[in-house]
Amino acid sequence: MNFLAASIESLGAKVVGWFTVGYGMFAFLARASLLLLDRATWNRATFDVVVKQVYFTAVQILHVFLGYTLVISWLIITIILSTARDFGLTEFASEMTIRVLVLELLPFLTALFIALRSGSAINTEVALMQVNNELDALAHCKVPPMQFEFLPRLIGGVVSVVTLAGLAGLLALLMGYLAIYGMNAAGFEPYTQTIAKIFDFTIVAGLLVKCALFGLAVTLIPVTAGLETPKKLFMVPVSVLRGMMRVFFAIVAIEVVSLALKYI
Amino acid sequence: MTAAVATLPEDVARVSHELPLRANLSALDNIALIPIYQRHFSVDESNRQALSLLEQLGHAGIAALRDPDMTPAQRFITKLARAIILRRPRLIIDRPGAMLYDVPYPDFIRELAAQAEMAGTWEIFDFSWNQALYQE
Amino acid sequence: MNKLHFKVGLFTAASLLLAGIFIVYLLHARGFFEKTFHLQLAAASADGVAPGVPVVFSGIEIGRVTTLGLNDSGGIVIRAEFLGRNAKWLRETSTFTLDKPIVGGAKIRVDSPDLDAPALPDNATMLLLTSDISKEIPALVERVKAILDNVEHLTRKDGEINATLANVKTVTGRMTGEYGMLESILGSKEKARAVTDSLDKTRALITKLDALAAKTDQWLFAQEGVAEQTREALVQVRLMLNDAQSSLKKADALMTNAVEISADVKEGTQDIAALRAEIDDAVRKASALVNEINKKWPFKRDPEVKLP
Repeated sequence: MNFLAASIESLGAKVVGWFTVGYGMFAFLARASLLLLDRATWNRATFDVVVKQVYFTAVQILHVFLGYTLVISWLIITIILSTARDFGLTEFASEMTIRVLVLELLPFLTALFIALRSGSAINTEVALMQVNNELDALAHCKVPPMQFEFLPRLIGGVVSVVTLAGLAGLLALLMGYLAIYGMNAAGFEPYTQTIAKIFDFTIVAGLLVKCALFGLAVTLIPVTAGLETPKKLFMVPVSVLRGMMRVFFAIVAIEVVSLALKYI
Repeated sequence: MTAAVATLPEDVARVSHELPLRANLSALDNIALIPIYQRHFSVDESNRQALSLLEQLGHAGIAALRDPDMTPAQRFITKLARAIILRRPRLIIDRPGAMLYDVPYPDFIRELAAQAEMAGTWEIFDFSWNQALYQE
Repeated sequence: MNKLHFKVGLFTAASLLLAGIFIVYLLHARGFFEKTFHLQLAAASADGVAPGVPVVFSGIEIGRVTTLGLNDSGGIVIRAEFLGRNAKWLRETSTFTLDKPIVGGAKIRVDSPDLDAPALPDNATMLLLTSDISKEIPALVERVKAILDNVEHLTRKDGEINATLANVKTVTGRMTGEYGMLESILGSKEKARAVTDSLDKTRALITKLDALAAKTDQWLFAQEGVAEQTREALVQVRLMLNDAQSSLKKADALMTNAVEISADVKEGTQDIAALRAEIDDAVRKASALVNEINKKWPFKRDPEVKLP
């Protein structure tokens, strides 16, 4: 009996915990979005921090990222093409390639890439700022940490994921063309036809929204997880661990919901 | 002591080891933040103000240093500059011994106060057993 | 110059440029810069057609169905949209066929046998060959095949008719029994029934071929919608059907005759030889007919599309 009560209690505690985390996250997001509307936010300093964030999140890793995209796309395209040939479904190969790579896999991998590289860094940094009282110092100086530290990170994350996923998608489109038709212009018409068929307005808008949500997830969740850190140095790794778990779940959830909306 | 600091009113600028500098910003950026966000100056103008303040305090050379690269005295000066540029009527130096452990700090602060030529008062909160240090 | 800002600026500019190029390319691909070409297809049934069903030419999608509706007389009007650049594939001699493959979605196939024919005007109305013909042709061919199987069955070397007719020589006088004289000629009740059954089957075959011919006539003289090639094929089918019909009628008459005259053994033998030749001929011609239908019919094509 005691065991049952205890497990129910721990379940309740978990649910309450999840609700608290979720509420905190959305409240933070709401505050951040309200600040976006504030004219005072749009000053040169915020802009500079955004630029810095975009640099560290996207530009610095561009060559690594594109190389990685190249390898992944090439592999997936080869697999799809050879499987399609084996089953006599070559006519669907190009559409399949574009759908799998450009619409699903590459945005997802981009989000994971940014989450691993920048999300964890953001989480650690915010946790350290919290533990070291740096946030208190900023508050004492009446420098709003939201505008100065967090909002630029969110914007930078969204911009980076959208741009990187877009670049990766374009690269995959090019690779797909080369893999299917080779180095000539003969396949341009049918390939264009396929692209036109796939990318209608809702698909493009959905892709953009999905990438933006990915970008938000990989920055917003680490920031809130970092802010939750108790003021003890040894809690920083715990905070990063929790934050990254949440980021992973959020990314998977966004992907699942987007697939459900698209195909159900 | 801590309680006394915690209940200080809003119009007080504090220099305290509990209020560290932003670790990934240079001394100049740490100071220039305040004019940018509170008085909406441009970045260049804020940097100019911050630099002139550092010059006034006689330490323009530390402008590009970040927190971990500074000596305790340099760190203290940056914090002091950050407090001064807040332009609040009262400035409280909270337990300077915790920040200036490598210099005879009463004299050091006195020198800085002479250079800064600022309006308002500087108050030093310190442990009572350190009172002897402040005797001229 | 701030190197960091420069790099970010370069990155942003390049990304925006690529995004812009892609958007323009996409708009071009989706025909934003072109006039759309409209076509109305009149159909007897809209079964399987829905907005979004592709219109394909040579396996490549050139347009899509936009709306479905009814006209004043209750006919179905399917509106399809094409990009301006694809309008050149639509000619006045083009045929439109609704394809419903077993695997994959429905599509409307365009066949333009003569690309030099005058182009279709915008908003033209064409007849959509509904699945009626394309669905029934294979079924009809199956039926013809079944009929021919019957003919072949009844004339096969060791079959009842041959065996029994060969036995006519050795007929003994068994004049009693349900089948009367016939039974006496053929040797047993069962064998006699086999002959009458065969006669019935031959007659049934003739009726069926008649129906097939009538149907062919219907397509042949239906207004529009049937391409020149199809028309020729149908004419040929008609001729062959007539041929098969008359052959089988002859066979029928001969068989009846054989039964009647088989009392006279000498005459009977000659007639039976002629009967076999006639039936063989009929079977050969009917087989040829099925082959011809299979070969000429434009709806049966190698569906495989190979990528280079």
